[in-house]
Amino acid sequence: MSQPTGSLLSLKNLGKRFGSLQALEGVSLDVRAGTVQCLLGENGAGKSTLCNLIFGVYEPSAGDMAFDGAAWAPESPAVALEKGIAMVHQHFSLVPRMTVVENLMLGQVRGVLKRHEFGARIRDIAESFGFSLDPDAVVGELSVGERQRAEIVKCLMRDPKLLVLDEPTAVLPPGEIGALLDICRRVADSGRAVILVTHKLAEIAKVADRVVVLRTGRLVADESMAEADMGALVHAMVGRELRPLDVALAETDEDVETPEAARGFALVCDGLTVHDRHGAVRLDNFTLEIRPGEIVGLAGVEGNGQSELGMVLAGLLRPTEGHFYIGGSDLTHAGAAAVTAAGGGIVPEDRHAVACVTGMSVAENVFLNKLERFTRFGLLQRGAMNAAAQKQMKEFDVRATGPEVAFSGLSGGNQQKAVLARELTLDPLVALVAAQPTRGLDVSAVEAVYRQIRAAARRGVGVLLISSELDELLAVADRVAVLYRGRLVGERPAEMSERGAIGALMSGQIVSGQVA
Amino acid sequence: MTDRRRLLGMAVPFIAVVGSMIAGLLLIALSGKDVPDAIEAFMDGAFGSAFAIGASINRAVALSLVGLGFILAFRANLTNVGGEGQIAVGGIAATALGLWPPIAGLPLGLAVIIPLLGGILAGAFWGGIAGFMKVRFGTNEVISTLLLGFVALLSVYWCVQSTALLRQPQTSSATLPESLPIADAAKLPSLTGNSESPLHIGLVICLLLAIATAIVLQRSTFGLRLRAIGLNELAARRAGMPGGILLVAALAMAGAFGGLAGAIMLQGEQYYLKAGFSSGYGFDGLVVGLLSRGSTVGVLAGALFFGFLRSGGISMEIMAQVPAALTLVIQGLIVIAVAGSVILVEKLQGGR
Repeated sequence: MSQPTGSLLSLKNLGKRFGSLQALEGVSLDVRAGTVQCLLGENGAGKSTLCNLIFGVYEPSAGDMAFDGAAWAPESPAVALEKGIAMVHQHFSLVPRMTVVENLMLGQVRGVLKRHEFGARIRDIAESFGFSLDPDAVVGELSVGERQRAEIVKCLMRDPKLLVLDEPTAVLPPGEIGALLDICRRVADSGRAVILVTHKLAEIAKVADRVVVLRTGRLVADESMAEADMGALVHAMVGRELRPLDVALAETDEDVETPEAARGFALVCDGLTVHDRHGAVRLDNFTLEIRPGEIVGLAGVEGNGQSELGMVLAGLLRPTEGHFYIGGSDLTHAGAAAVTAAGGGIVPEDRHAVACVTGMSVAENVFLNKLERFTRFGLLQRGAMNAAAQKQMKEFDVRATGPEVAFSGLSGGNQQKAVLARELTLDPLVALVAAQPTRGLDVSAVEAVYRQIRAAARRGVGVLLISSELDELLAVADRVAVLYRGRLVGERPAEMSERGAIGALMSGQIVSGQVA
Repeated sequence: MTDRRRLLGMAVPFIAVVGSMIAGLLLIALSGKDVPDAIEAFMDGAFGSAFAIGASINRAVALSLVGLGFILAFRANLTNVGGEGQIAVGGIAATALGLWPPIAGLPLGLAVIIPLLGGILAGAFWGGIAGFMKVRFGTNEVISTLLLGFVALLSVYWCVQSTALLRQPQTSSATLPESLPIADAAKLPSLTGNSESPLHIGLVICLLLAIATAIVLQRSTFGLRLRAIGLNELAARRAGMPGGILLVAALAMAGAFGGLAGAIMLQGEQYYLKAGFSSGYGFDGLVVGLLSRGSTVGVLAGALFFGFLRSGGISMEIMAQVPAALTLVIQGLIVIAVAGSVILVEKLQGGR
């Protein structure tokens, strides 16, 4: 490893204020060439703001930055890119219908397009960092990991001295995270600096040279990885000790009192089958019964029918065949409003596309399905709605400056807590379907989500927890069913010892109890 | 700071309008016409007399109504470009009802109200078709409202060409392809009682509807639902909102406003249906709606401006022989300048 000793990027007392919100305050840190620096923090801790300051999206309200031996005040991301800082954003900026090479030529090539030459360059860059990328593949057909690698190559083509990755692992399936971390390591080894923003602790241990922790806009830890203590980092990040998930969440198992008297099931799926537009079977004769107070985990690698199941149960997709019932009423063709009315709380997997309207206020989102409650003579009683929202925000620990702020201004964790607040306060609440409810959330938000789900089950709500994270299911669910290619291929008790068996079911090695 | 911003927000469009007017005068000078003459003709046509002012305001009423309908639908992220056709079907319906003898005999102003309602319903139906096509088949409403507009315009031709429909009885070869004038009882009452001024009750209807629109958009649950569906249809549906019904309703409402504009134009001033009856009010109303950026007050202000501009332009054409096309060019310049200045203000204010 070549490790020049001078610092490439140095920040001194950096601060950023948005209106009344102090997003960052007094942040000083150094990033050296040839190293991977992990930036750790909860949602809303100021990680993205810090990246945006470095990348020239915002202008700091206080402090100085220096980059590559000179004062650093890029007036725009374009200038930052020009001068050697590239950033991979959480949301990709690729055109799905175009190929990788076409996407990467956008904005970089003028005049004659030398597709082949450019394609070869893409291939070379990818290979020099130890991965492969087909320049002629259509972006829309690539996996999330491949798209991300295309974004990384796009950055590397500009030969940056510093590469910033904003929560790159949040969107990746578990299997692809390791590969990404390898790429980060290799980029650093080539003499560049890498800033990796994350809130997943396990990742930093694998790749970081140095780790800094932000909490509520302040730098609370800055340590070399060799000396860092994981427990201390967690403490720095959330400001208190966190109990290990399994302990914290398994504790209530005995308390769960399943009302045997309730003969009715909370949620019943009876032979649900979904064909897509092309006639392919996405969900195949899916049958599952969930009792009140029971948490059933649905495991499976993503893309095995979970999304379709979620859409059906949300009342947004009509199944080709089969029925589903919440609290005994058949809602198969009743639509979303009827699902809500019957007591079906839905936490959709795609928060931005389905769960909320980011352009509206927090209060409007919290009561999006209960607006009639605040309607008198057709007019919306905003005062009453905002007051009620304030109360729910407090109850569900949704942190925002007020009920009227834009939902888009909330961090992912707070957005999810708001969605939970909306869905868990249905009256009556019979069943809860939560799909990938902790994706992209930081540790303490994850804990809050689990706590809410547990509490709902304790009150007698039947919960279907759809997740691709096995550990999550094992920690929270009572039993785990496995979905593979749209079919329910098995069911296991949610115990650590079943991990291997469930994993095998997920990967399709065992179908219907037999070894395939 | 906010004062400066507000000042900036008003100053820039103002400068833009004045600038484009000066550019217009330059164009008039370049075309060899006498500029003072043209200015005088413009002022005379727009503000010169009670008649001129009344006519200008009546024009503004039609433009406002189309603009109000536009911003309603636009709240649901629907762009209604079919104002012209909605005016046309509204006009057809109002003519048909206004010519129907039993209605002319009705008491309590029903002779006026029923044709107006007919225009509203016809326009709502016309807009609703586009909404239905959008929900059912995914047809883009820009395309469908525009094309339905052509259908409506040509239907006006058909109506006034065929004696079986609305054409007046052909007594000689010189009988024009027009309808008979509607019954006096179906004409909108004058607002001033002064026969000099054509100002009619349409202004009151328009202002009441503007207030209603503002309340719907800003205060009502329905308005919030429109916004939700416009911002994120899937999330709105998940929250139990009837997405399809809301979209159809939004376009039907936009159409209803257009239809009412048509009925008011017919019953307020023109009194008989002829080809080219809507003469561009639908498209100007669309521009008014676009420039207003969703604000009711913006619609009224823009409509007034365009109403006076149109009156003045017609007068320039007649009195100072400035070609009508040139007026349109100037109007276009103003639209570009205002739209551009809005973007400029946003950049200046939204900057860091």
